[in-house]
Amino acid sequence: MSDHDHHDHPYAPEAQDAGSQALAEALRSSFVIVKFAMVALVVIIFAAGFFTVNPGEKAVILRFGKPLGDGPKMLLSAGKLYWSFPYPIDEVVRIPIAEIQKITSSVGWYATTPEMELAGIEPPAGASLNPLIDGYVLTADRNIIHTRATVSYHIDDPRTAIFSFAAGTNHQFNLGGISNAVQDAANNALVATAARFAVDDILTRDQAGFRTAVRSHIEEITFREKLGVVIDQCDVQSVAPRQLKEVFAAVTTARQNHDKLINDALGEQNRILSQAGATASSVTNAAESARTRFVTGIQSDAEAFRALLPKYEGNPQLYAQLELTKVMAIVLTNVQDKIFLPQRADGKPRELRLMLNREPPQPKSAANP
Amino acid sequence: MKKNLITLIIAVVLLVIFALLLFTFQVRQSEVVVVSTFLKPTDTITNAGLYVKWPWPVQSINRFDQRVQTFADIPSETLTADSTMLLVNVFVGWKISDAKEFFPKFPGGSPLAAQRQLENMLRSAKAAVVGKHNLSDFVNSDPAQLKFAGIEKEIQNSVEAELAKNNYGISLEFLGIKKLGLPENVTQSVFDRMRAERTKFITEAQFKGEAEATKIKSAAERKAADVIYNAQAEATRIEGAGVAEAAKTLGVFQENPELAVFQLQLEALKNSLGQKSTLIFDERTPPFDLFKNLPAVNPGK
Repeated sequence: MSDHDHHDHPYAPEAQDAGSQALAEALRSSFVIVKFAMVALVVIIFAAGFFTVNPGEKAVILRFGKPLGDGPKMLLSAGKLYWSFPYPIDEVVRIPIAEIQKITSSVGWYATTPEMELAGIEPPAGASLNPLIDGYVLTADRNIIHTRATVSYHIDDPRTAIFSFAAGTNHQFNLGGISNAVQDAANNALVATAARFAVDDILTRDQAGFRTAVRSHIEEITFREKLGVVIDQCDVQSVAPRQLKEVFAAVTTARQNHDKLINDALGEQNRILSQAGATASSVTNAAESARTRFVTGIQSDAEAFRALLPKYEGNPQLYAQLELTKVMAIVLTNVQDKIFLPQRADGKPRELRLMLNREPPQPKSAANP
Repeated sequence: MKKNLITLIIAVVLLVIFALLLFTFQVRQSEVVVVSTFLKPTDTITNAGLYVKWPWPVQSINRFDQRVQTFADIPSETLTADSTMLLVNVFVGWKISDAKEFFPKFPGGSPLAAQRQLENMLRSAKAAVVGKHNLSDFVNSDPAQLKFAGIEKEIQNSVEAELAKNNYGISLEFLGIKKLGLPENVTQSVFDRMRAERTKFITEAQFKGEAEATKIKSAAERKAADVIYNAQAEATRIEGAGVAEAAKTLGVFQENPELAVFQLQLEALKNSLGQKSTLIFDERTPPFDLFKNLPAVNPGK
């Protein structure tokens, strides 16, 4: 058969060899390309497995769905280069732990829009509140107010955040479930705390107490429900219903007036008591001064008496005349009017008539107040 | 030969991958898997990892999220024991506790169907529990009378009992009241009452302020009078003490009372006859008595 073929086609073997060679060459080239592609693919797959963890983030490698490592060891931190197998063998789950999460509970707030909030505009107040549209809370004294809380928190236990709480039914690993749980906690805290605070305590008298109680309630729930979060801040804003804005403002004014009256009275009280205190001090000081003067005067008189006694006892008559004359000299020098009335020659007493009147009072002046 | 080896390796690798896809399945950390053999649930796997199974149609798997899921029910109006229409809205956290029981009870093991079932249970539980309590159990400034947390617990217990009775494979992790409200027409009545209360507060604040201010001032005046009276009494005591102290010195003057009296008289004379005084005297008054006792003058001598 081969001879027959050779005879029928004298140039066939040469042509077949050339074709085979070309095909073999093409296959060889293709294999080289395939080999290169496979090697490149393996390299790419290997290189793609490297990853880093961002600061403020933790990561978990799930191998066949199961975390690598036990307990806290499963959490990978920033600062290292890690490697994982490609999906579906390994799956890297990233959890932002340092990033501050924030939720706002508006279950007790009236219906508004972000645009109105930014513009500082309140929606017009109707005569009543529709519970399906407008949020509000009931207070301990059965009144209605609006209150809302903005809660900032961070993830303390990343494993709980992604492996214990889900958001929706798509099996995704994210923080939506925890966010929903914190939101529910904040809603519940506002409603439950308002239920034990009176309206005036929430709005004026004990705002700080209400805020603290709301925060404590949220923390209690997050602890009880093991949410693995830490509450960083809880701001609470409470306002009276828009329908009663004016009357609440009037109460505030009346209370301010009340406080002003009390403060004025307390000021007057201080003035009266200070004045009384000063008068009392003046009276006792004057008494002390008089006492000192009196005692000192008596003592100095006694000393003078002791000094004079020997002189007096030497010649009482002479001493008395001398002293009297000295005093009279001083007296007569000081006396303004001196009237000498000589004795009548017949020895009878003279009759002297004097018209006495008081000195007219001097007009008041700066020098003589 | 070499080419054949490479082909063989590739074929084996592909075969292994295919076999793995066919005979194995993963369970993620957050999941629970129900394995069904000929569509009958035969096994539940709750631990994460790689598992083997027979390929379809012998065995099939159904995955469920075993994490806690939350939702809030639709607010519903309920009458309290003291006939107050109250609008209560609760949130719950629930999870699949027994997937093997859960799976056949809800169409396709749908969590949304389970939520709808839970909502029905919640509605009944809320009505039953709220109906047993007065409004003062929900809102009260007296912690002893407030039963807010207790009511939440009662609703939760009621739903849990229902879940356990029907063996739904669901567990309730937590429950809380999300909203407590009143029907719309009642809110208007509340506003009217609040307005009346505020008006009363305004009047009270004015009267109270004036009364308290008067009270403070009169109390201050009384206290000031007391302070001054006490000071005067103290002054009298001080002066008395001074007199008593001076009396100890008076014994000195007993040595010669005449001199003592004379000295005092001289002092009194000096003090009484100061400036702006008029002295009328005759020749008997020393030193003018000198005029009286002058020796007779005889100019003729």
